[in-house]
Amino acid sequence: MPCSRESSFKRVIMINRDQLSGFFWLAISIFVCIEANRVGIGDVHSQGPGFLPFWSGVMLSAFSIILVVTNTLKKRGKREIKNLWKAMSWGKVVLVLILLLIYALLLPRLGYLIATFGLMTLLFGIAGKTKLWIKLLAGTITVLATYIIFYVWLEVQLPKGILGF
Amino acid sequence: MIIFDNLFYGFSVALQPEHILVCFLGVLLGTLIGVLPGIGPLGAIAILLPATFRMSPVSAIIMLAGIYYGAMYGGSITSILVNIPGEAATVVTCLDGHEMAKQGRAGPALGIAAFGSFIAGTLGIVGLMVFAAPLAEFALKFGPPEYFGVIFLGMTLLMYLSRGSLLKGVMMAVLGLIISFVGLDPIEGSTRLTFNLLQLWDGIGIVPLAMGLFGIAEILINIEESAPHEVLKTKIKNIFPNLSDWMKSKGAILRGSILGFFLGILPGGGAIISSFASYGLEKRISKEPEKFGRGAIEGVAGPESANNSATAGAFVPLFTLGIPSNVVMALLFGALTIHGMRPGPFLMTNHPDLFWGVVSSMYIGNIMLLILNVPLIPLWVQVLKIPYKILFPLILLFCIIGAYSIRSSIFDVHLTIIFGIVGYLFRKFDYEAAPLVLAFVLGPLFESNLRQSLTLSKGSFSIFFTRPISAVSIIVAIVLLVIGFMPYFTKAREKFEGK
Repeated sequence: MPCSRESSFKRVIMINRDQLSGFFWLAISIFVCIEANRVGIGDVHSQGPGFLPFWSGVMLSAFSIILVVTNTLKKRGKREIKNLWKAMSWGKVVLVLILLLIYALLLPRLGYLIATFGLMTLLFGIAGKTKLWIKLLAGTITVLATYIIFYVWLEVQLPKGILGF
Repeated sequence: MIIFDNLFYGFSVALQPEHILVCFLGVLLGTLIGVLPGIGPLGAIAILLPATFRMSPVSAIIMLAGIYYGAMYGGSITSILVNIPGEAATVVTCLDGHEMAKQGRAGPALGIAAFGSFIAGTLGIVGLMVFAAPLAEFALKFGPPEYFGVIFLGMTLLMYLSRGSLLKGVMMAVLGLIISFVGLDPIEGSTRLTFNLLQLWDGIGIVPLAMGLFGIAEILINIEESAPHEVLKTKIKNIFPNLSDWMKSKGAILRGSILGFFLGILPGGGAIISSFASYGLEKRISKEPEKFGRGAIEGVAGPESANNSATAGAFVPLFTLGIPSNVVMALLFGALTIHGMRPGPFLMTNHPDLFWGVVSSMYIGNIMLLILNVPLIPLWVQVLKIPYKILFPLILLFCIIGAYSIRSSIFDVHLTIIFGIVGYLFRKFDYEAAPLVLAFVLGPLFESNLRQSLTLSKGSFSIFFTRPISAVSIIVAIVLLVIGFMPYFTKAREKFEGK
């Protein structure tokens, strides 16, 4: 008896990726419906700003439920969540994303030149085993080249930061 | 004869030095991104869109269009020599193209791909000229219900023809619509889905969305699957196909050109579907179908022609109806609106320089591509050897600068990164971003035409079924959705009854 309870518990937590995404979209659609209702749905004769968002939310929730139900009836296997990152170098992806997020936060404070130099040097570092001076040189060349193309040539107003450049 | 007058005027626009330069830049970049696996025309157009803001609208569209059709040429080189499609529309070229290369016939495979692309591209442009004017005239009769019907059909076709699950395709389209509703309501002006963020009052921009979903997501996937690309070590000779190759390929090129053009016009169609359809057709009508997949030159000539003429076909609904038929056209639609142009039936009359200039530039671009692709193939082979570890930091930086440069907004950079993460997770969870982006671009048109139609009919949905064009469009779309969803319900019922 305890064994069977354990296996049903396992079945519950071993939801596959489609079920997980279905639940996620269901939550999003409910949120959209609530927001649409807040701004006013109206009716077909006089549609409010929330009319189409509301009905889109309803449709998304209906499709999410279909996705969850059809996948609950399917056999589990390859599509389990734990198989998603199997044999993948996902650590690099996380590292790149963390760097990008830090870069986005520091860009307005440090300015384009310093922040981008840091980002590019680190990204070239992640890319492969290279000597430090090559990474620094690659970072410098990239920053200067993009600065000339975008700031000087295309006149894009790049962030200056607290140091003024 | 008016068509020749217009074409002559178009050449007078396209042959201006600035336009020749941007056309060359476009086809060069297109070939480059086509050659490099890991970034397609969509990502490249998204990245380069902000760089066109300082150009005139004509220059911008000439360049972006050049990237699109140039990528079709370049993609075949990677498919043939590396057996990895440089571009999604050249997936099918791997089958016979790489086999030919392994048999020491890389030259004729590359040659027929380039010549076939040139012939089909040119025929496609002729088709664009012939069909665009009558269709634009016809589109003048369109009211809100007709527009709504055609948009609905276009979105349905894209969902229907997209890879993977139809259910997920529909969900992505609905999500795209929801994202397009963020910002101010077009009629009342009140805010919706803005989370009280001032930056969202103007809505979400196409560039952060597309750049994140296609640019950054693509890079993250490539970093993860960092398998080295092996370029086939073979001597490339006889790039000019011999008489026997030409005899085998001529029918495939012609059929591919016609099929590709019409599939390109269809909403939801495009270069990818055209290339697969052409391969299927060639195999079906061939006297030796068993040779397909073993190095049949028709298996390269047909799809390569089809994907090129499809790019010309895809411009027809964009320029005449103002409706993008695929996601690359959706980005060009975005580019036109950013440049203050309204694609639609009046584009040809209000901006003849844009329409005829772009059409004529395509002739010039195709000639440039033939020159770039035939004698310069060894150069592109060298480009193929650039390691991805050098490319990806640069592409990431271009994405970030591109997103920032539109409104000088750090918020857009944040959005791009968020959409990058979302796009990466979409790939992981097998969701396709294309229906989302198309629905996002069409969202404002979808909403305004639906609401105008309902206002006209005093709230009755019968207005969509009393007008022939909207009725046919909506009925076809509903039939497609019902056919597509049928298996879900039958399987679910069988499972349930089985239990």
